[in-house]
Amino acid sequence: MTLKRCVKAGLSGLFLAVAALQPGQAQVPGVTADTIKIGSFGALTGPGYLYGKLPMNGIEVVFDQVNAAGGINGRKLELVREDDRCDPAAAIGAVKKLIHEDKVFAIIGGGCSNATVAARETLAEARIPVIIMASVHDGITTPVAPTIFSTALTSSLESAAMLQFALDQGAKRIAVISMRDAWGRSRYTPLIEAFQKKGIKPVLDEEMAPDANDATAQVLRLKGANADAVLVVLYPKPAAIFMRDAQKLGFKPLAVGQSGIADPAAFEDQVGSPGATASFRTISMVRYTPEDPAVDKWRKAIEAKFPGDRLSVFNLFGIGSAQVMVEGLKRAGPDLTREKLVAALNGLKDFETDVYPGGITCVETDHRCNKNPAWIAKEPGKPVRVLGVTKVE
Amino acid sequence: MELLVYLLLSGLTTGSLYALIALGIVVVNKATAVINFAHGELFMFSGFVAWMLHVQMGVPYLPSLLAAVAFGFLLGAATDLIAFRPLKNANIISLVLATIGIAFMLRGTARVIWGGKGDYLPFPPITSPEPIMIGGIMVIPQQLAVLAGSIVIMVAFAAFFRLTRAGKMMQATADNAKAATLAGIRIDRIYMLSFGTGAAIAGAAAALMAPLTLLYPDMGFSFFIKGFAAAVLGGLTSLPGAVLGGISIGIIESLAGGYLHSSFIEVSAFIVIMFVLVVRPTGLLGSTRFRRV
Repeated sequence: MTLKRCVKAGLSGLFLAVAALQPGQAQVPGVTADTIKIGSFGALTGPGYLYGKLPMNGIEVVFDQVNAAGGINGRKLELVREDDRCDPAAAIGAVKKLIHEDKVFAIIGGGCSNATVAARETLAEARIPVIIMASVHDGITTPVAPTIFSTALTSSLESAAMLQFALDQGAKRIAVISMRDAWGRSRYTPLIEAFQKKGIKPVLDEEMAPDANDATAQVLRLKGANADAVLVVLYPKPAAIFMRDAQKLGFKPLAVGQSGIADPAAFEDQVGSPGATASFRTISMVRYTPEDPAVDKWRKAIEAKFPGDRLSVFNLFGIGSAQVMVEGLKRAGPDLTREKLVAALNGLKDFETDVYPGGITCVETDHRCNKNPAWIAKEPGKPVRVLGVTKVE
Repeated sequence: MELLVYLLLSGLTTGSLYALIALGIVVVNKATAVINFAHGELFMFSGFVAWMLHVQMGVPYLPSLLAAVAFGFLLGAATDLIAFRPLKNANIISLVLATIGIAFMLRGTARVIWGGKGDYLPFPPITSPEPIMIGGIMVIPQQLAVLAGSIVIMVAFAAFFRLTRAGKMMQATADNAKAATLAGIRIDRIYMLSFGTGAAIAGAAAALMAPLTLLYPDMGFSFFIKGFAAAVLGGLTSLPGAVLGGISIGIIESLAGGYLHSSFIEVSAFIVIMFVLVVRPTGLLGSTRFRRV
């Protein structure tokens, strides 16, 4: 054996010996004596950044606050971000990197539904604890994956709430206008099922393309059917075109949106026609508008950490999901393992956060932990206001 | 009757935008026999330039529109320099792939520049946003402005093509590039002018369209598909055909949505195109001559 080989063998042996002598805690991925590494994936670039970058900013300010108070059982929280650009293939790559390269302990993430649905299998196989922060597709939480929880609403919960809200407002002739792509179908199908459960039929069932630039035909048909409420299963862009053309043609039904149109102030600007959104109501995952004094603390934190940003509802999504993760980590105790965190999350019952409309409850058989959509509206010239909460069973 | 009038008006407005996009595609195709797959992104990019000037910097609408047209021209000319000129002797697949590459590059750049400012960016209407009544029909003034603007641009373009020296040289090159070379026309410049003119029309269409809809970095492809369909329906080499194709598609979509069901809006135009191409493979006004320059 040459001298070079002897040195190599000696160093290898030394490395193995040092590794073997490390305490058991070091074998838990992402956890050291003084840190816990949490990963996040979502769109950091592109138009889907609202559902990725902004919630992540919210997570980060919660982590800063926890760390300033000494961390969790003496460990500081670190956030590792990955960009999935709302692209399914990129989302799979992002979670693989977080799990295998960054070796994070747990994940809070998932912005665009199509990307998160694609990443679900990878996340489930890795048995890494995950809290979904913004994606709403039912396929993420149904059937239940043992380690994947969601504090976002789900599309079927929202669809049931949309119909219930219209009925509660006294609507008698309810119509639907929807997109029929993957996103739209994930909401449209449970919406039609909700109609069937109630034993009623939509008076008209219209479609609109995500890139549509005109809704004259749809509006005229809905007006002809005398619909007094329209359930709007559309992205903000086609929804804005629909509301603009509805006003143009003198059609003013109760328009019921969903969390895809989560910012009524921005939506009013997008419609661009004064008064056109006066009868528009939509779902929010959170119970406060960004202007509410109840979230002053978080507004200041966001504006201090991200100069130039103003607090948005999307920040609040991240704040709520991070608070749930923090609670789970606290309950899991100092001898942290992934199994203990999953057990702690499964034990959450009516856990109150600073942002969600109701308590967060997760059980082993149902990881849709947030079932309380709030209703928000913005009347012309006035701030966004919260109208109430629908409890979906 | 009222329903028909509303549907025709909305079809005409949307169709005139499709026609402007189709015109740009046809101008490039006539001169170079290449479909510029980056045309939708040139349209999108010019729209954002108009938005940046008008909304962010407070420049009045008309100068913003003109700047979008000028910027579109420069971007189109750059497409010629980057994606066409170095490959003009390569096979058609390479040329098409080069334009697709440009499309992805422009979309990616737009996402970086404008992708983080809002999911869909509104462009304020250039007229009063309040609907007005014309002969018992409710109309958004912006729709009339778009329609009028589209007609002005089409007429100006026709005049440029028929009356100016550059337009005539473009026509001559499109008809016979070898003969044009022999006549002393520098066809490389004409190709650049064609790419630039096509993109300039797209820039005008984008600035006109922006107040009616919303801007987002991924919008180019769907407009390109509609414009391309209009160009194919019109004949791919015919400028009047592009206008006819665009307006036809707009009206077919609108009537199908109003009288059949809204699910027919997206497919109706393509069904008609398939039928027309089976009966008349060169399109409504296209010529049978089609060659690679």
